[in-house]
Amino acid sequence: MPNDRLLDELVADLRPVRPRRVGRDLLLLGVIGAVELGLFLLFGAARHDIMIAMKLPSFWWKVGSLGALTVTAGITAVRSFDPSVSPQRGLRLLPALIGAALAIGWVIDAAGAGGAALWARLMWHHGIDCIFAMVTLSIPVIFALGLLMRRGAPTDRKGSALAVGVASAAWGALVFVFNCPHDDPFYIAVWYLAGCAIVSLIARLVLPRMTRW
Amino acid sequence: MGDGEDQWGALMLAAQSGNSAAYRRLLGEVREWLIRFYTRRLPASFIDDAVQDTLIAVHEKRHTYDPDRPFRPWLAAVARYKWIDRLRAMKRHTTDELADDVAVPDHESAVTSATVLRQLLAELKPAQQEAIRLVKLEGFSVEEASARTGQSQSLIKINIHRGLAKLATIVQGHPHAE
Repeated sequence: MPNDRLLDELVADLRPVRPRRVGRDLLLLGVIGAVELGLFLLFGAARHDIMIAMKLPSFWWKVGSLGALTVTAGITAVRSFDPSVSPQRGLRLLPALIGAALAIGWVIDAAGAGGAALWARLMWHHGIDCIFAMVTLSIPVIFALGLLMRRGAPTDRKGSALAVGVASAAWGALVFVFNCPHDDPFYIAVWYLAGCAIVSLIARLVLPRMTRW
Repeated sequence: MGDGEDQWGALMLAAQSGNSAAYRRLLGEVREWLIRFYTRRLPASFIDDAVQDTLIAVHEKRHTYDPDRPFRPWLAAVARYKWIDRLRAMKRHTTDELADDVAVPDHESAVTSATVLRQLLAELKPAQQEAIRLVKLEGFSVEEASARTGQSQSLIKINIHRGLAKLATIVQGHPHAE
Protein backbone atom coordinates (compact mmCIF):
# COMPACT_ATOMS: atom_id res chain seq x y z
CA MET A 1 0.00 0.00 0.00
CA PRO A 2 1.20 3.57 -0.64
CA ASN A 3 3.52 4.33 2.23
CA ASP A 4 3.86 7.39 4.37
CA ARG A 5 6.55 8.77 2.08
CA LEU A 6 4.04 9.51 -0.67
CA LEU A 7 1.79 11.29 1.81
CA ASP A 8 4.75 13.28 3.13
CA GLU A 9 5.69 14.31 -0.40
CA LEU A 10 2.15 15.44 -1.17
CA VAL A 11 2.00 17.40 2.09
CA ALA A 12 5.39 19.00 1.34
CA ASP A 13 4.00 20.08 -2.04
CA LEU A 14 0.90 21.65 -0.46
CA ARG A 15 0.21 25.22 -1.56
CA PRO A 16 -2.92 27.24 -0.81
CA VAL A 17 -5.47 26.99 -3.62
CA ARG A 18 -8.60 28.97 -4.36
CA PRO A 19 -11.58 26.58 -4.49
CA ARG A 20 -13.15 26.48 -7.90
CA ARG A 21 -16.56 28.17 -8.20
CA VAL A 22 -18.99 27.56 -11.06
CA GLY A 23 -20.34 31.12 -10.84
CA ARG A 24 -16.88 32.63 -11.18
CA ASP A 25 -16.06 30.46 -14.21
CA LEU A 26 -19.36 31.39 -15.87
CA LEU A 27 -18.71 35.07 -15.18
CA LEU A 28 -15.28 34.76 -16.78
CA LEU A 29 -16.82 33.16 -19.87
CA GLY A 30 -19.48 35.88 -19.98
CA VAL A 31 -16.76 38.55 -19.96
CA ILE A 32 -14.79 36.77 -22.72
CA GLY A 33 -17.95 36.46 -24.81
CA ALA A 34 -18.94 40.09 -24.25
CA VAL A 35 -15.45 41.30 -25.20
CA GLU A 36 -15.49 39.18 -28.37
CA LEU A 37 -18.93 40.43 -29.40
CA GLY A 38 -18.00 44.03 -28.52
CA LEU A 39 -14.82 43.90 -30.63
CA PHE A 40 -16.70 42.22 -33.46
CA LEU A 41 -19.25 45.02 -33.58
CA LEU A 42 -16.70 47.75 -32.84
CA PHE A 43 -14.68 46.83 -35.93
CA GLY A 44 -17.73 47.31 -38.10
CA ALA A 45 -18.52 43.66 -38.71
CA ALA A 46 -22.25 44.11 -38.16
CA ARG A 47 -24.40 43.71 -41.27
CA HIS A 48 -25.26 47.07 -42.82
CA ASP A 49 -29.03 46.50 -42.53
CA ILE A 50 -28.93 45.34 -38.91
CA MET A 51 -31.66 47.77 -37.81
CA ILE A 52 -34.04 46.38 -40.43
CA ALA A 53 -32.99 42.81 -39.72
CA MET A 54 -33.78 43.26 -36.04
CA LYS A 55 -37.41 43.72 -36.97
CA LEU A 56 -37.55 40.29 -38.63
CA PRO A 57 -38.62 37.20 -36.67
CA SER A 58 -35.77 35.21 -38.26
CA PHE A 59 -33.14 37.46 -36.63
CA TRP A 60 -34.54 36.87 -33.15
CA TRP A 61 -35.05 33.20 -33.96
CA LYS A 62 -31.31 32.96 -34.62
CA VAL A 63 -30.36 34.96 -31.52
CA GLY A 64 -32.81 33.14 -29.24
CA SER A 65 -32.00 29.62 -30.43
CA LEU A 66 -28.23 30.09 -30.38
CA GLY A 67 -28.36 31.95 -27.08
CA ALA A 68 -30.37 29.14 -25.44
CA LEU A 69 -27.93 26.57 -26.84
CA THR A 70 -24.89 28.55 -25.66
CA VAL A 71 -26.25 29.02 -22.14
CA THR A 72 -27.45 25.42 -21.72
CA ALA A 73 -24.30 23.82 -23.11
CA GLY A 74 -22.02 26.32 -21.35
CA ILE A 75 -23.56 25.71 -17.92
CA THR A 76 -23.53 21.95 -18.56
CA ALA A 77 -19.84 22.08 -19.50
CA VAL A 78 -18.68 24.24 -16.59
CA ARG A 79 -20.67 22.26 -14.01
CA SER A 80 -19.22 19.01 -15.35
CA PHE A 81 -15.67 20.13 -14.55
CA ASP A 82 -16.53 19.12 -10.97
CA PRO A 83 -15.72 15.38 -10.68
CA SER A 84 -19.01 14.60 -8.96
CA VAL A 85 -21.21 16.24 -11.64
CA SER A 86 -22.08 14.42 -14.88
CA PRO A 87 -22.76 16.38 -18.09
CA GLN A 88 -25.25 13.78 -19.33
CA ARG A 89 -28.43 15.47 -18.05
CA GLY A 90 -27.56 18.75 -19.75
CA LEU A 91 -26.48 16.96 -22.93
CA ARG A 92 -29.87 15.25 -23.12
CA LEU A 93 -31.52 18.68 -23.24
CA LEU A 94 -29.53 19.81 -26.26
CA PRO A 95 -31.23 17.69 -28.97
CA ALA A 96 -34.60 18.93 -27.68
CA LEU A 97 -33.39 22.54 -27.90
CA ILE A 98 -32.03 22.02 -31.42
CA GLY A 99 -35.27 20.29 -32.47
CA ALA A 100 -37.36 23.15 -31.07
CA ALA A 101 -35.14 25.69 -32.88
CA LEU A 102 -35.58 23.87 -36.19
CA ALA A 103 -39.35 23.55 -35.68
CA ILE A 104 -39.69 27.27 -35.00
CA GLY A 105 -37.56 27.95 -38.10
CA TRP A 106 -39.88 25.76 -40.15
CA VAL A 107 -42.92 27.74 -38.93
CA ILE A 108 -41.20 31.02 -39.83
CA ASP A 109 -40.27 29.56 -43.21
CA ALA A 110 -43.79 28.31 -43.89
CA ALA A 111 -45.18 31.72 -43.02
CA GLY A 112 -42.89 33.41 -45.57
CA ALA A 113 -43.32 33.64 -49.35
CA GLY A 114 -41.05 30.65 -50.11
CA GLY A 115 -41.38 29.10 -53.58
CA ALA A 116 -37.75 29.17 -54.71
CA ALA A 117 -35.94 25.91 -55.32
CA LEU A 118 -34.28 24.56 -52.18
CA TRP A 119 -30.93 24.16 -53.90
CA ALA A 120 -30.91 27.79 -54.98
CA ARG A 121 -31.84 28.87 -51.48
CA LEU A 122 -28.84 27.05 -50.05
CA MET A 123 -26.30 29.33 -51.83
CA TRP A 124 -23.55 26.93 -50.91
CA HIS A 125 -20.64 29.28 -51.66
CA HIS A 126 -22.03 31.75 -49.10
CA GLY A 127 -22.66 28.84 -46.78
CA ILE A 128 -19.02 27.78 -46.82
CA ASP A 129 -18.01 31.35 -45.90
CA CYS A 130 -20.53 31.28 -43.06
CA ILE A 131 -19.10 28.05 -41.69
CA PHE A 132 -15.58 29.44 -41.80
CA ALA A 133 -16.65 32.58 -39.93
CA MET A 134 -18.58 30.61 -37.28
CA VAL A 135 -15.66 28.26 -36.64
CA THR A 136 -13.27 31.22 -36.30
CA LEU A 137 -15.58 33.09 -33.94
CA SER A 138 -15.93 30.04 -31.70
CA ILE A 139 -12.18 29.93 -30.99
CA PRO A 140 -12.00 32.34 -27.97
CA VAL A 141 -14.73 30.50 -26.06
CA ILE A 142 -13.55 27.01 -26.96
CA PHE A 143 -10.07 28.02 -25.83
CA ALA A 144 -11.36 29.44 -22.51
CA LEU A 145 -13.64 26.45 -21.85
CA GLY A 146 -10.84 24.07 -22.80
CA LEU A 147 -8.53 25.68 -20.24
CA LEU A 148 -11.24 25.56 -17.56
CA MET A 149 -11.86 21.91 -18.39
CA ARG A 150 -8.15 21.12 -18.15
CA ARG A 151 -7.93 22.91 -14.80
CA GLY A 152 -11.06 21.14 -13.54
CA ALA A 153 -11.58 17.44 -12.92
CA PRO A 154 -14.18 16.19 -15.42
CA THR A 155 -14.93 12.51 -14.89
CA ASP A 156 -16.90 12.16 -18.13
CA ARG A 157 -14.36 13.80 -20.42
CA LYS A 158 -16.17 12.91 -23.64
CA GLY A 159 -19.45 14.33 -22.36
CA SER A 160 -17.79 17.48 -21.05
CA ALA A 161 -15.92 17.91 -24.34
CA LEU A 162 -19.18 17.65 -26.28
CA ALA A 163 -20.83 20.25 -24.05
CA VAL A 164 -17.80 22.53 -24.53
CA GLY A 165 -18.04 22.04 -28.30
CA VAL A 166 -21.76 22.83 -28.50
CA ALA A 167 -21.42 25.89 -26.23
CA SER A 168 -18.47 27.27 -28.24
CA ALA A 169 -20.09 26.50 -31.58
CA ALA A 170 -23.39 28.10 -30.60
CA TRP A 171 -21.57 31.15 -29.26
CA GLY A 172 -19.50 31.51 -32.47
CA ALA A 173 -22.70 31.28 -34.51
CA LEU A 174 -24.45 33.77 -32.22
CA VAL A 175 -21.72 36.38 -32.73
CA PHE A 176 -21.88 35.71 -36.46
CA VAL A 177 -25.61 36.46 -36.47
CA PHE A 178 -24.75 40.17 -36.27
CA ASN A 179 -22.82 39.93 -39.51
CA CYS A 180 -24.67 37.29 -41.48
CA PRO A 181 -26.98 38.90 -44.07
CA HIS A 182 -29.06 35.74 -44.56
CA ASP A 183 -32.50 35.49 -43.02
CA ASP A 184 -33.79 32.43 -44.86
CA PRO A 185 -34.54 29.81 -42.15
CA PHE A 186 -33.70 26.97 -44.54
CA TYR A 187 -30.28 28.44 -45.29
CA ILE A 188 -29.69 29.12 -41.58
CA ALA A 189 -30.83 25.67 -40.46
CA VAL A 190 -28.49 23.93 -42.90
CA TRP A 191 -25.33 26.03 -42.64
CA TYR A 192 -25.50 27.00 -38.98
CA LEU A 193 -26.12 23.37 -38.08
CA ALA A 194 -23.15 22.35 -40.22
CA GLY A 195 -20.87 24.97 -38.61
CA CYS A 196 -21.94 23.99 -35.10
CA ALA A 197 -21.51 20.29 -35.90
CA ILE A 198 -17.94 20.83 -37.12
CA VAL A 199 -16.86 22.75 -33.99
CA SER A 200 -18.65 20.27 -31.69
CA LEU A 201 -17.02 17.32 -33.43
CA ILE A 202 -13.53 18.84 -33.21
CA ALA A 203 -14.01 19.55 -29.49
CA ARG A 204 -15.40 16.05 -28.88
CA LEU A 205 -12.42 14.43 -30.61
CA VAL A 206 -9.59 16.65 -29.35
CA LEU A 207 -10.45 17.80 -25.82
CA PRO A 208 -10.73 14.38 -24.08
CA ARG A 209 -7.09 13.70 -25.00
CA MET A 210 -5.91 17.08 -23.73
CA THR A 211 -7.76 16.98 -20.43
CA ARG A 212 -6.81 13.58 -19.11
CA TRP A 213 -5.94 13.62 -15.39
CA MET B 1 -19.28 8.03 7.71
CA GLY B 2 -21.53 10.94 8.77
CA ASP B 3 -19.29 12.85 11.21
CA GLY B 4 -16.12 11.66 9.54
CA GLU B 5 -17.38 12.91 6.21
CA ASP B 6 -18.08 16.39 7.58
CA GLN B 7 -14.72 16.31 9.26
CA TRP B 8 -13.02 15.44 5.98
CA GLY B 9 -14.70 18.43 4.36
CA ALA B 10 -13.39 20.68 7.11
CA LEU B 11 -9.92 19.16 6.78
CA MET B 12 -9.91 19.70 3.02
CA LEU B 13 -11.06 23.28 3.48
CA ALA B 14 -8.11 23.81 5.84
CA ALA B 15 -5.80 22.09 3.33
CA GLN B 16 -7.01 24.41 0.57
CA SER B 17 -5.79 27.26 2.78
CA GLY B 18 -2.38 25.59 3.14
CA ASN B 19 -2.78 23.84 6.53
CA SER B 20 -0.24 20.97 6.33
CA ALA B 21 -1.26 19.20 9.53
CA ALA B 22 -4.91 19.02 8.46
CA TYR B 23 -3.86 17.82 5.02
CA ARG B 24 -1.59 15.09 6.40
CA ARG B 25 -4.39 13.78 8.59
CA LEU B 26 -6.89 13.91 5.73
CA LEU B 27 -4.59 12.02 3.35
CA GLY B 28 -3.94 9.34 5.97
CA GLU B 29 -7.65 8.75 6.53
CA VAL B 30 -8.49 8.96 2.83
CA ARG B 31 -5.79 6.38 2.07
CA GLU B 32 -7.51 3.87 4.38
CA TRP B 33 -10.87 4.61 2.77
CA LEU B 34 -9.39 4.16 -0.71
CA ILE B 35 -7.83 0.82 0.21
CA ARG B 36 -11.27 -0.43 1.27
CA PHE B 37 -12.87 1.10 -1.84
CA TYR B 38 -10.50 -0.58 -4.31
CA THR B 39 -10.29 -3.88 -2.43
CA ARG B 40 -13.94 -4.42 -3.36
CA ARG B 41 -13.44 -3.34 -6.96
CA LEU B 42 -10.07 -4.46 -8.26
CA PRO B 43 -7.81 -7.52 -8.21
CA ALA B 44 -5.27 -7.30 -5.37
CA SER B 45 -2.33 -6.56 -7.66
CA PHE B 46 -3.99 -3.37 -8.93
CA ILE B 47 -5.01 -1.85 -5.60
CA ASP B 48 -1.68 -0.29 -4.70
CA ASP B 49 -1.35 1.68 -7.92
CA ALA B 50 -5.01 2.71 -7.86
CA VAL B 51 -4.72 4.10 -4.32
CA GLN B 52 -1.52 5.95 -5.21
CA ASP B 53 -2.98 7.41 -8.42
CA THR B 54 -6.07 8.56 -6.58
CA LEU B 55 -4.11 10.22 -3.78
CA ILE B 56 -2.09 12.13 -6.39
CA ALA B 57 -5.31 13.10 -8.21
CA VAL B 58 -6.84 14.30 -4.93
CA HIS B 59 -3.74 16.43 -4.43
CA GLU B 60 -3.66 17.87 -7.95
CA LYS B 61 -7.38 18.51 -8.15
CA ARG B 62 -8.01 19.66 -4.58
CA HIS B 63 -9.10 23.08 -5.84
CA THR B 64 -12.11 21.45 -7.52
CA TYR B 65 -13.60 20.50 -4.13
CA ASP B 66 -16.33 22.98 -3.25
CA PRO B 67 -16.31 23.42 0.57
CA ASP B 68 -20.06 24.12 0.52
CA ARG B 69 -20.73 20.55 -0.59
CA PRO B 70 -20.09 17.21 1.16
CA PHE B 71 -16.62 15.78 0.69
CA ARG B 72 -17.36 12.10 0.22
CA PRO B 73 -19.24 12.32 -3.12
CA TRP B 74 -16.32 14.36 -4.46
CA LEU B 75 -13.80 11.79 -3.25
CA ALA B 76 -15.94 8.90 -4.49
CA ALA B 77 -16.18 10.51 -7.94
CA VAL B 78 -12.39 10.87 -8.14
CA ALA B 79 -11.92 7.28 -6.92
CA ARG B 80 -14.48 5.98 -9.42
CA TYR B 81 -12.75 7.85 -12.27
CA LYS B 82 -9.46 6.21 -11.34
CA TRP B 83 -11.23 2.85 -11.05
CA ILE B 84 -12.37 3.19 -14.67
CA ASP B 85 -8.78 4.12 -15.56
CA ARG B 86 -7.59 0.90 -13.95
CA LEU B 87 -10.20 -1.19 -15.78
CA ARG B 88 -8.94 0.32 -19.02
CA ALA B 89 -5.35 -0.37 -18.01
CA MET B 90 -6.28 -4.01 -17.36
CA LYS B 91 -7.71 -4.09 -20.88
CA ARG B 92 -4.52 -2.68 -22.39
CA HIS B 93 -2.46 -5.33 -20.61
CA THR B 94 -4.67 -8.27 -21.44
CA THR B 95 -1.85 -10.79 -21.59
CA ASP B 96 0.44 -9.39 -18.89
CA GLU B 97 1.60 -11.76 -16.24
CA LEU B 98 -0.02 -10.95 -12.93
CA ALA B 99 1.87 -10.40 -9.73
CA ASP B 100 2.92 -13.45 -7.76
CA ASP B 101 0.46 -12.73 -4.96
CA VAL B 102 -2.48 -13.41 -7.23
CA ALA B 103 -4.09 -16.86 -7.18
CA VAL B 104 -1.78 -18.23 -4.53
CA PRO B 105 -3.86 -20.18 -2.01
CA ASP B 106 -2.59 -18.15 0.94
CA HIS B 107 -3.88 -15.04 -0.75
CA GLU B 108 -7.21 -16.43 -1.75
CA SER B 109 -9.09 -13.76 0.17
CA ALA B 110 -7.12 -11.09 -1.65
CA VAL B 111 -8.18 -12.30 -5.08
CA THR B 112 -11.77 -13.05 -4.22
CA SER B 113 -12.48 -9.82 -2.39
CA ALA B 114 -13.18 -7.73 -5.49
CA THR B 115 -16.88 -8.30 -4.86
CA VAL B 116 -18.19 -5.30 -6.77
CA LEU B 117 -16.15 -6.26 -9.80
CA ARG B 118 -17.57 -9.78 -9.62
CA GLN B 119 -21.11 -8.43 -9.45
CA LEU B 120 -20.46 -6.23 -12.47
CA LEU B 121 -19.15 -9.23 -14.40
CA ALA B 122 -22.66 -10.64 -14.34
CA GLU B 123 -23.62 -7.98 -16.89
CA LEU B 124 -21.18 -9.42 -19.46
CA LYS B 125 -21.58 -12.35 -21.83
CA PRO B 126 -20.74 -15.70 -20.13
CA ALA B 127 -17.61 -16.24 -22.26
CA GLN B 128 -16.31 -12.76 -21.34
CA GLN B 129 -17.12 -13.31 -17.66
CA GLU B 130 -15.24 -16.57 -17.65
CA ALA B 131 -12.16 -15.18 -19.41
CA ILE B 132 -11.89 -12.18 -17.08
CA ARG B 133 -12.60 -14.20 -13.96
CA LEU B 134 -9.94 -16.79 -14.74
CA VAL B 135 -7.16 -14.54 -16.06
CA LYS B 136 -7.71 -11.25 -14.24
CA LEU B 137 -9.20 -12.33 -10.93
CA GLU B 138 -7.86 -15.82 -10.37
CA GLY B 139 -4.48 -15.41 -12.01
CA PHE B 140 -4.53 -18.19 -14.59
CA SER B 141 -2.46 -17.70 -17.72
CA VAL B 142 -4.19 -17.25 -21.07
CA GLU B 143 -3.07 -20.77 -22.02
CA GLU B 144 -4.54 -22.28 -18.85
CA ALA B 145 -7.78 -20.34 -19.25
CA SER B 146 -7.98 -21.59 -22.83
CA ALA B 147 -7.57 -25.19 -21.72
CA ARG B 148 -10.17 -24.84 -18.98
CA THR B 149 -12.84 -23.10 -21.07
CA GLY B 150 -12.31 -24.58 -24.52
CA GLN B 151 -12.00 -21.08 -25.95
CA SER B 152 -8.95 -20.51 -28.17
CA GLN B 153 -6.19 -18.31 -26.73
CA SER B 154 -7.05 -15.56 -29.20
CA LEU B 155 -10.67 -15.72 -28.14
CA ILE B 156 -9.69 -15.51 -24.47
CA LYS B 157 -7.73 -12.31 -25.21
CA ILE B 158 -10.56 -10.86 -27.28
CA ASN B 159 -13.12 -11.68 -24.58
CA ILE B 160 -10.96 -10.06 -21.88
CA HIS B 161 -10.39 -6.98 -24.04
CA ARG B 162 -14.05 -6.53 -24.99
CA GLY B 163 -15.35 -7.49 -21.57
CA LEU B 164 -13.18 -4.97 -19.76
CA ALA B 165 -14.07 -2.28 -22.29
CA LYS B 166 -17.75 -2.99 -21.62
CA LEU B 167 -17.18 -2.97 -17.86
CA ALA B 168 -15.55 0.48 -18.09
CA THR B 169 -18.52 1.70 -20.15
CA ILE B 170 -21.00 0.24 -17.66
CA VAL B 171 -19.27 1.92 -14.71
CA GLN B 172 -19.00 5.22 -16.58
CA GLY B 173 -22.62 5.10 -17.68
CA HIS B 174 -23.94 4.46 -14.18
CA PRO B 175 -22.50 7.08 -11.81
CA HIS B 176 -23.71 5.11 -8.81
CA ALA B 177 -22.74 1.64 -10.02
CA GLU B 178 -21.11 0.28 -6.90
